[in-house]
Amino acid sequence: MTAPPLEVGWLDARETVTRIELAQACGLSEAEIAELVDYGALCTLPAAAAGDPLVFSAECLPAMRRAGRLRRDFDLDLFSVALLLGYLQRIDQLERQLRSLQAHVPFHGPASHREGPQPWREPHG
Amino acid sequence: MKYKDYYAALGVPREADAEQIKRAYRKLAREHHPDVSAAPEAEARFKEVAEAYQTLRDPQRRAAYDELGRRPAGQEFAPPPQWAREFGTGSFEDVDLADLLASLGRGHPARGAHHPGPGRGRDYESGVRISLEQAHRGTTLNLQLDGDPGGARTLEVTIPPGASEGQKLRLRGRGGAGRRGGAAGDIYLHVTLAPHPVFRPDGHDLHLDLALAPWEAALGAEVEVPTLDGPVLLTVPPGTRAGRKLRLRGRGLADGRGGRGDLYALVHVDVPGTLTERERELFRELAAVSRFDPRASAAKEGMS
Repeated sequence: MTAPPLEVGWLDARETVTRIELAQACGLSEAEIAELVDYGALCTLPAAAAGDPLVFSAECLPAMRRAGRLRRDFDLDLFSVALLLGYLQRIDQLERQLRSLQAHVPFHGPASHREGPQPWREPHG
Repeated sequence: MKYKDYYAALGVPREADAEQIKRAYRKLAREHHPDVSAAPEAEARFKEVAEAYQTLRDPQRRAAYDELGRRPAGQEFAPPPQWAREFGTGSFEDVDLADLLASLGRGHPARGAHHPGPGRGRDYESGVRISLEQAHRGTTLNLQLDGDPGGARTLEVTIPPGASEGQKLRLRGRGGAGRRGGAAGDIYLHVTLAPHPVFRPDGHDLHLDLALAPWEAALGAEVEVPTLDGPVLLTVPPGTRAGRKLRLRGRGLADGRGGRGDLYALVHVDVPGTLTERERELFRELAAVSRFDPRASAAKEGMS
């Protein structure tokens, strides 16, 4: 069966998620989300939505889902999840930096800096 | 119903305490978790130990499981008669032991029997690999979803222009159907970009290698460079050195907000592999008259 075409939502700084949405998406309770905010593992957005003051950038959702899954899989307590989240976000950030650096590396660039005492006119390998 | 030996799955004795059970589970989970192990049977083994742990970690479920006594794994058995009352169902046919025990304490019976209350549908995660051109212009693709209770299904997904490497997307309400009026789950898509023979993406910027002849780099030139919109003429200023980046503003990938990244041409200076006699003569003449020393700065640094 083929459903009608549909558009997708970006999970980046362009979109926001509420505490309820975030809790549902990562399998945590709303109180646990608030606790992660208290631990400093999650940052809320300053623009508070009507009702719930806890609104988040959708950018945090993939890492939160992963942390929620690892919590279930390894039976971790919430403080461990808070620590884990920090590392997952750091890994994401480093992977982005690595991809960025790879884009700057030429396919056929100038010869890389040669280490050691070999002479410059060493015959080509 | 088939008996499962949860104690054997975790490798603990039947009288093991909660701490022993937890420690045994964590050790096995660490070994077989799909994020850690690449072994083909790792996921199945992980599911097996997770199912065992979900039952044995909960005193109520464990007590109910222990009521079944010790049996060989896989043996067909009939649950004790009082379970029919406790679980609110008369039939245990097609009911999985883990599902049945999981329903304990929730005040509702196992899967396959009547459930009160709504339940949210399952979320799916899927990876899609698209080309740079598809990321730039947007694309529609068919997503195959397996593991749905209703069977495999195909979903037509439109990815708007602006995706970049590692981008995550959400298709709200397109995951598994909700139960008893519950909301449908979501689909999470992880976008990766297929390697391109010319362009290397960095976010919405693109990078390419631009080979110049020594005289083009020295004298300046107008050279044709490829872009996603077709070739354009790029003005190379005189004295362009290898490693310099020349920017073509707004020739990168669409960013999905009406703008575009930039295209960077990374210069490297190439020389002919073989020279004609005339070329050799001209290069020798240049070598004789030029005072340029490309290693001058390196030599200075070496002296200091």
